Amino acid sequence: MKNFSKILSKKWGGLTLWGSLIFLLSFYPLTGASGIQLFTATQIFLWVILASNWNLIGGMTGYLDFGHAVFFGIGAYTMGILVTNSSLAFAPKLSFWQALPWTGISAVIFALLIGWATLRLKGAYFSIAMLSTFAATREIVRILRPLTGGGSGLDLPPVLNRPGEYYFMLITMAIVVSLMWWIRRSELGMSLVAIREDEVGAEMRGIDTTFHKLFAFAVAAFFTGICGAFWAWQNTYIDPDVVFFQNRNIIMIMMCMLGGLGTVWGPVIGAVLLYLLQDLIWSNLVDYHLLVLGVLLILLIMFIPYGILGALGNYDTASIVRIFKTSNKTKAKIK
Amino acid sequence: MSQLPTKQTAPLLEARQVSKYFGGLAAVNQVDLDIYPGEIVGLVGPNGSGKTTLFDCLSCLQSIDKGKIIFKGKDITNTRPYQVSRMGLSRTFQKLRVYRQMTVWENMLISRQWRGENLFVIFKVTDRHTRRRARELLELLQLSRLQHEYAGNLSGGQQRLLEIGMALMPDPEIILLDEATSGVNPTLIETIKDRIKTLNREYNKTFLAIEHNINFISDLCDRVYVLNQGEKLAEGTPQEIQANDAVVEAYFGT
Repeated sequence: MKNFSKILSKKWGGLTLWGSLIFLLSFYPLTGASGIQLFTATQIFLWVILASNWNLIGGMTGYLDFGHAVFFGIGAYTMGILVTNSSLAFAPKLSFWQALPWTGISAVIFALLIGWATLRLKGAYFSIAMLSTFAATREIVRILRPLTGGGSGLDLPPVLNRPGEYYFMLITMAIVVSLMWWIRRSELGMSLVAIREDEVGAEMRGIDTTFHKLFAFAVAAFFTGICGAFWAWQNTYIDPDVVFFQNRNIIMIMMCMLGGLGTVWGPVIGAVLLYLLQDLIWSNLVDYHLLVLGVLLILLIMFIPYGILGALGNYDTASIVRIFKTSNKTKAKIK
Repeated sequence: MSQLPTKQTAPLLEARQVSKYFGGLAAVNQVDLDIYPGEIVGLVGPNGSGKTTLFDCLSCLQSIDKGKIIFKGKDITNTRPYQVSRMGLSRTFQKLRVYRQMTVWENMLISRQWRGENLFVIFKVTDRHTRRRARELLELLQLSRLQHEYAGNLSGGQQRLLEIGMALMPDPEIILLDEATSGVNPTLIETIKDRIKTLNREYNKTFLAIEHNINFISDLCDRVYVLNQGEKLAEGTPQEIQANDAVVEAYFGT
């Protein structure tokens, strides 16, 4: 394991390893894997993307977003409205590929509007604001019956193509994680970590913190929206409660914490492990699975606050407790 | 060195009747300040006299309640700190603000000169020029051997040196030093002093320094401002200040 984390910290090591993994994974459907196996793999890829995106704003920038699934919901509903055959006030009946770009774009627009207001808050205040955004959006979607189908939900055209779904998510995941790897090495990533470490200092040293935060937020929202859209398409039915599912927020955060907050590979490792673990707990302890997850979360914060990568000696990771504690008395002037 | 600069040149940084209130407390009260290009100016005063608040106001980190701040002929009263920094004003902090979970090297690189952002910021990595400058500055501050260490693991004095390095990275015109020598060992203080002198003489950099180290003040500064309870108590050469009765009573003690 020590060697493994050494490879990851090499200059091109991580990306090479990642590329080989994607290459190997691309042969999986050819080995005669069943539909349900491909479905599970697709779900894991989906969670890797969600966790990586959350990590960009939560881990690297230090803004603990407790309502990030709102972008998932926006993406899912944009897809739903654009492709559904149900009669709505606005239903253009597009195909999947025609609708896909708009799901990301709508999530970005939503992120810019929301982020412009909420990213001025710090620490727990930001988390609460995003949580309320999440809950409020769910209720708004429920009320806007002519546009969204309201509480009775939307039916999407059923299309079953497990290998196609598998490859779509595999490619998206490859792109997203490589992008995160690049961002962490680029000046953008360094600026984001600088904002996490000391926002006032970053502002005073010439970093336009508002721009960087909004940019990171928008990038994270874009791919989360795409994920939501894909999920809606695969699920063929959406309603406010399954799309704006509260636990999705928490699981995203737990995955990043388990792997190592703020690192590139932490969310990937965390997402795979937690997804499998969750499945195991779910299938064996149906009644207690939330209890077990809660206990797991507490143990995680108590014993490995810096995640698996942190425990392995990678100091590039941040702890959720420390981010929460960072509060700057001198507030930078924000307009 | 002790002669005052000719008043014909326009000041680099001016404060006009600057006031800052925290509730009923006037932390800075109608302070006037002129810093001319190429000067080293000291700012002294007892604890709680508003020195750091004045620095925060000058660097636009805190909005001022009254008055005006002019930098390079432009009114910067309502500018955001990063814009002021890009105009060529950089500062250090009394309460250390290094990025603790980044390496020393990354800390230096990210304090580079910023010009502007666009949506392609995502593809940018640090250029060679910035790297060379960071390497030179780390060598100068004797931090080279620590460059791959996390900044949070450094000692207080080393972090202070790193902050000075970070303030110098963007090649600013004026540098505000907030107690740059507290917690630094005497030999290194001499090094810092030498470096400030060199920067001042050869590169014509301007400094405004909050200091409690009176040797530092009398060796380096052309002029000194004395603050007391948010108001300007006196102004003059270090020798004049040390002879001023009001200053002796408020600051030096008998």
